[in-house]
Amino acid sequence: MNSRLLKTVLFSTSLLFTACATTASGKSQSVLMTGTAVPQQLEAATPDGSLLAVVRYPAVVNENAKDKYRADYAASAIGGRVDKSVAESEEARGMIDSTIVKSNYFALSLYKELAARLPEHTVLLSPHEIVLDANGELTSVPITQAESLPSVVTIDFAAYTFPHPDKMMDKNPLTFGDLISPIVTVRTDHRAAVPTQGVLLTSQPLTESAVGNGYQSVQASMDELQSGRFDTDIPELDFVAMISGDPRRSAATQGLSLEAGENRVQIIPMEKIRMSGQSIMALDKTQAGIVDPLQPVFSQGFADRIVDMINDTASEKTAMGRRADAIASYDPSLAALTFVGSDSADYQARYSYALRMLDAERKYLSVQSLRLFDGVHNSEMGAQVRDMLKAEYGILDKRRELARKQNQATALAILGVVATGVAVAGTGSSETGYPSYAEQLLTQVALNATIYAGASAFAYRDESRAVGGNYLASIVPALEEQTNVQVSLIDSNETITAVRFDDLKTKLKTLYDEKQRSLETIATRCAFNQSGAASGTWMGVCEGGVASGSGVGVIQNSDGSAVEYYGYAQNGMAQGPGYMIFHSPSGSYALEGNFTGGLADGTMRMSKSGRDDELRNFVSGSDQGGASSGAIVASPFNQLRTGA
Amino acid sequence: MRVALTTILLLSALPAAAQTGLSSVTTTDMGNDIPIAASPVQEKCITIMSGFPDNGHIPRYQFFKLTQELTTDIDPMMRSALDYFGDASVTQNTPVVEVIENIANPVFRQAAPEITIGNMAYLADFALDCETYLTGQIESLTAYDQSLTDPEFNIVIAEDALFMRQILSDSLFRIGAQDHEIFGPYVHNYASGLIRSRDEIEFAGFETELAMIENSYLSDLDGRLARSNDVINKELDQEALLIALEETEDLNNHARLESKSKMIQTLAMILGGG
Repeated sequence: MNSRLLKTVLFSTSLLFTACATTASGKSQSVLMTGTAVPQQLEAATPDGSLLAVVRYPAVVNENAKDKYRADYAASAIGGRVDKSVAESEEARGMIDSTIVKSNYFALSLYKELAARLPEHTVLLSPHEIVLDANGELTSVPITQAESLPSVVTIDFAAYTFPHPDKMMDKNPLTFGDLISPIVTVRTDHRAAVPTQGVLLTSQPLTESAVGNGYQSVQASMDELQSGRFDTDIPELDFVAMISGDPRRSAATQGLSLEAGENRVQIIPMEKIRMSGQSIMALDKTQAGIVDPLQPVFSQGFADRIVDMINDTASEKTAMGRRADAIASYDPSLAALTFVGSDSADYQARYSYALRMLDAERKYLSVQSLRLFDGVHNSEMGAQVRDMLKAEYGILDKRRELARKQNQATALAILGVVATGVAVAGTGSSETGYPSYAEQLLTQVALNATIYAGASAFAYRDESRAVGGNYLASIVPALEEQTNVQVSLIDSNETITAVRFDDLKTKLKTLYDEKQRSLETIATRCAFNQSGAASGTWMGVCEGGVASGSGVGVIQNSDGSAVEYYGYAQNGMAQGPGYMIFHSPSGSYALEGNFTGGLADGTMRMSKSGRDDELRNFVSGSDQGGASSGAIVASPFNQLRTGA
Repeated sequence: MRVALTTILLLSALPAAAQTGLSSVTTTDMGNDIPIAASPVQEKCITIMSGFPDNGHIPRYQFFKLTQELTTDIDPMMRSALDYFGDASVTQNTPVVEVIENIANPVFRQAAPEITIGNMAYLADFALDCETYLTGQIESLTAYDQSLTDPEFNIVIAEDALFMRQILSDSLFRIGAQDHEIFGPYVHNYASGLIRSRDEIEFAGFETELAMIENSYLSDLDGRLARSNDVINKELDQEALLIALEETEDLNNHARLESKSKMIQTLAMILGGG
């Protein structure tokens, strides 16, 4: 009896450590769904030659990068630490690989929602391939040409899973069955959001990686400008920047708000959202493409937010860099003039032709995106993902049931321990000092019930883990199959498109060249200077080997600081309306207004980290304090802006 | 471009003496035809329109459209300038082909620009006064034959109109109208408007060519991608998921039995005493 009691106590103690099982719960909807009950309408004018949104997502992992990807993914797991032995298990591998399949599928939900809200041919998909760079580190590159055109915003989307098979039922992020943990970034061109390097909104774990990634991209684009080229860098996916441990950079942040956060990044928490089980079960083939379980809990609200951000953000600054890059492939001497523009008839005529070229490219790439959507979502591939989601939901449901049984058994066991304790205590109070037969029987029954309940709890826990592990281990070949076909589809789409795209571009270029008349003023490359700084490069109107007219200038100093300038210049220095961006290792800020001899001179709009834009009075580069809110700011972008 | 204008002129037959349905407007009341009195403008419009070619709907459309295009940039002051500088004996019964031939006539242009201007003034007056009728005719013809809206076809007409407007501008400069105290600035504006019109026509031509390239490439691309999607999707081994799910089911059954047996062992170990 004593020995049995001892074992029971030990058993119960271990059971208490095992405690209750969690049931893989999730939020009923994303925080992005709050506050946007009314669908947002596009109010902003689309900048010339620009798209409105590009949805980027991890679509493929290059064969050479797979091991590194899995290792880095596990090493930088969001939500906890994953031991190497666990990370290398087949189950963990299944979880990591499934994030790619799920990202491919669920990114389409967002694309669909955005396409429904924005004009035709203004939303593109940009699948990325995760590859190794020259240093053997992970990076991602766009598979298609979707990012060669300017866009007001780009959205990074990935469906995340904490890669620990034993933690599936815990609170960690999970994309499995009816649960999804999206990680997202919304960014614009850095020229339109200088202090945050273009980042407008991120999921909390991505923030510093996204800002760091943006800064690297800015540096790369400035290197190109310094060398006299307009090539704009396409940043890797922020998700990849995070797992590969790329340099991070901080920026001012704020919580999610319907009011645009000027010079701050809006942060959304890492979420685990539970989609409707009913809609998951409705994902059969007859419902293909109709039921979208992500739409009512995430994509709808996110798409509305994005439209809202486009309304707040769309301006020449969002498009001018990449537009110049795109135009340069047709007309290099026109490209530098497009930053500021000109009223001259010859410029206007040529610019209209160039924009029409970009329009043709936009339509072409849009067809590619629509077909990618169709190929993945409306075909066998999509049907298989939906079958997979249903199967996963079945697994989760089973595990939730087992968890509930485990919890009931645990509760019974704990009650049993208490009852046994009471019974044992009671036996000591009899008159004889020995327990009566009835007392012994009561203690025995309580003891046995406790042991049975405890053993059941352990059995349910083991079975639950096995159910999850079995699925993850078995699904690996199906995931590989899915991934391989996905790769083939995207490759084939891109191959067909690229071959035809090159051909189309040649035809467009020929047509453009045939129809062009000469420009009275053409852009060239010459020197751009600023007092106390290294000599820089000017791409624009030059005279006597130095900047003299409109264009873009860049100066990179040896201490890591740099200056970008868009506007008018004279004698090699900023002179007249201009927009100057200052970069340093500690941060970036911008001044827009009038410049004299390279220095801010007059009322300037100042954009600094963590502060709303301010109007400040400058004299010869020196800040004299705040300007009145109605003061007029000279802008190089063909308009006068007044303070709010 | 001149070929196009010549084509128009060749296509057009001599003006019809009368246009049934245009020269007289009637309505039916209790079975009796009652003539409706036409206003002076109506009379003028109907009479002149009866002088347009009637040898087919295409030449009629060409002439109506050309006449409409000729009014581009002719504002009231410019119209007064044309009346002031023009000198041509054109009547409502002069066939429109003859009026256009007079404008295009190089001899008149060189020796008597006033006649060219006068003929243009006549056409402009008609086009502006009878704008509603012109638009009505153009719309009913395009409703009858949608191919008339073909951009390439209309660009040719716009180029012809531009050619004639250029002749008008040259004629005005030839007689020194640009130096006139009142009308001079309007004559200059008209001349610079021709450059803008030239740009617009060229851009429209470019748009048309580009649209043809786009259509051909986009439909070709769409077809290719759709076919490729289908082929690749067929490669998907649908068995893989079914096998995985069956395997999972088997393993789960095994796990259930195993955990039960483990539970019995545990119970036996604890309850079995010892």
